[in-house]
Amino acid sequence: MNKYFAGIDIGSTMTKAVILQEGIIASVIGPTGPEHRILANRVMEEALERAGLPFSSISYIVSTGYGRINVPFADKQVTEISCHAKGISYLFPRAKTIVDIGGQDSKAIKIDTNGRPTDFVMNDKCAAGSGRFIEVIADTLGLRLEDMGGISLQSGNPAKVSNVCTIWAQQEVASSLAKGAPVSDLVAGIHRSLADRVARMVKRLRVEKEVVLTGGGAKNIGLVHALAEQLEEEVQIPEEPLITGALGAALLGRDITDKAAKNNTALKTKERVLETVKIL
Amino acid sequence: MAEEKKKKHKKRRTATKAAASIGPMVKEFIGGTNRARAEGTHKIAYTFIVCHHEEILRAMDVLPVWTENFAGICGAIRDSERFLQRAESLGFSRSLCTYALCGLGFDQWREELGEMPPNAPWGGQARPDFMVSTGQILCDPRAKWYQAAQQYMPDVPIYNIDLPYPLYDPNHDHREVWGYYHKYIVKEMRGFVSFLEEQTGKKMDYDRLKEYVALSDKTWNLIEETYNLRAAKPCPMGTGDAMNTMVPMNFKMASQEAYDFYVGLNAELKEKNAKKEGIVANEKYRLLWGGGLPSWFALGDFNYFNSKGAVFPAETTYRMVAPLDEMDIPETDDPIEHLAWKWLGYWTFWYDRARKRPGSHPDVEWLINYIERYDIDGVVMHEAFSCRSWHVGLIWQLQQLAKIYKPIPVLMLGDSGQKKEGKRELPSLILESDIIDITSYSEVDTRNKIDAFIETLESIEKSKIN
Repeated sequence: MNKYFAGIDIGSTMTKAVILQEGIIASVIGPTGPEHRILANRVMEEALERAGLPFSSISYIVSTGYGRINVPFADKQVTEISCHAKGISYLFPRAKTIVDIGGQDSKAIKIDTNGRPTDFVMNDKCAAGSGRFIEVIADTLGLRLEDMGGISLQSGNPAKVSNVCTIWAQQEVASSLAKGAPVSDLVAGIHRSLADRVARMVKRLRVEKEVVLTGGGAKNIGLVHALAEQLEEEVQIPEEPLITGALGAALLGRDITDKAAKNNTALKTKERVLETVKIL
Repeated sequence: MAEEKKKKHKKRRTATKAAASIGPMVKEFIGGTNRARAEGTHKIAYTFIVCHHEEILRAMDVLPVWTENFAGICGAIRDSERFLQRAESLGFSRSLCTYALCGLGFDQWREELGEMPPNAPWGGQARPDFMVSTGQILCDPRAKWYQAAQQYMPDVPIYNIDLPYPLYDPNHDHREVWGYYHKYIVKEMRGFVSFLEEQTGKKMDYDRLKEYVALSDKTWNLIEETYNLRAAKPCPMGTGDAMNTMVPMNFKMASQEAYDFYVGLNAELKEKNAKKEGIVANEKYRLLWGGGLPSWFALGDFNYFNSKGAVFPAETTYRMVAPLDEMDIPETDDPIEHLAWKWLGYWTFWYDRARKRPGSHPDVEWLINYIERYDIDGVVMHEAFSCRSWHVGLIWQLQQLAKIYKPIPVLMLGDSGQKKEGKRELPSLILESDIIDITSYSEVDTRNKIDAFIETLESIEKSKIN
């Protein structure tokens, strides 16, 4: 009988789901709203629809991300550190250092040969060390977030953004813009500033090759370049960087199921019901 | 000025009866200083812990008010914000030591009112007759805090004791120079005695001082023996409790009460060890609190670690004693000279061991010693943003530890992509917040980090080669 596993990653900005068999058979990405449980249900429903599977066919579900406890149907909750480690190791078997730049935090993870985390650092204190930094500046400059990376690469003279606080940096950019600084230089400066902050955090772990960048930040080509420059290392990017946590969660679910089968122990799972959650 | 409404904060569950008895002990101590102020029975001195001067204060019947301790209490009961805000409104930056900020905010308020601020935590901090600061290397507010406080209490004199110790040099034996340091410290302490004599109008009774010094030596040895009982498996008492049981060690040294407290704790731990009664039912991981002051408002995080099967059998923070019989200090009958030697013996305690291990350092050697003595699986530290002196060395200590000490045999991925046997460092976690500034703290983020660290410990356990 075919076995399927699901991983749900409720991040601060995006909610992701992956359904796994031998490989990924469906994945869904949606924005995280104020009601995590509704989102979890929605992405799960959609992932099942895309995979053409009934909910009852999922053998094991692992939830991750900062909203992981708000997935009522998850059989286990695992932190995003372990899930990213597992997911990236599956995609890049020689990876040793993972950098995850998310919407509201960033982290660096060292992993072993089995895709297990051996050390990590997290920045959850400062928005200027997360994807939010670029989002705020894009808004200030009236640019689309997805265009920011490409624009930054057009600069020949990246601006120096000296403020380390998102709000003050926003003001600094607005003031430089008023003085006539080219937009591409400002955008490049912002990318450098974020990459510099993230690199300083990553270096605390002693960077080892191969380095993989994941999370929303990996979708920004300007940031990938800036980070590679700061780390003085080549940086690998997954095909879909947003789902590596959910993929890792599904892979961990598969491991748990395999172990139970090997040890001939019963697998504790939740009832496969997508409850209706009402918003007040 | 915003005044935070006092909220009832849930008490942390302690593992030992001894730790649970500390709250009332501190309350009584603070109450005692306020009674002494009201009745004029004793002179009261603002001062700092770890100055090796408690014996002198007690022999002169001076009551110490440990200003860091009071700020810690404000933090622990989550009532520091109004004092921090007041200090900010006086022009002090939030990035200064928040103990000092809290104290300054409190003092200015008390001086302005001419009485304790409303609902002062545990009765409030008594106005001092004098302030004893210190120019020692431990941290900068020790000299500057009271100078700032003098702005609000210009009639209160300050005496500064300078307590240096030779800095570590891997190529030189500290004994080559410590005689000079000793001479200087003795002079500083004698100057302090003269100051106290002037302030109290009494002469120092050196026989009495000798008795206090002997009592404190006896207590040092007892603490060392007692804390070593925590090496047992399962661990009978963790760092969460030790953040309470450090009170007699740091605030009541040279008192019979402190000695008796550790006699009680010693008996309690022996009893727990005999019954194999640990902090947690199923002890999975043994962690070292490797440095940094705790977030006093979040001591419940230690219980959260416990809920994951992790215990802290040891900590370097507040372990302000070392075994006297292992210190290579000269014997003397003069109590002041002995206090000065004890100071030097304590601060140079790990120097010889560090010199024997290439790349080591006394602070790193201390960690390694505890890792082995207490059979530790991982190291946790706390970077309190406002505590610069702790903050400065923590990351370096961890990096140096990782570089020179790799006790875990694992399979590693070689450059060619082949798996090979190797040894790795202990995993570590750095928590980030503050000592008493709760605005720097997020319980969700902190516990997410703890969860991830526990998973890391689990994965390292699985990777170990037996």
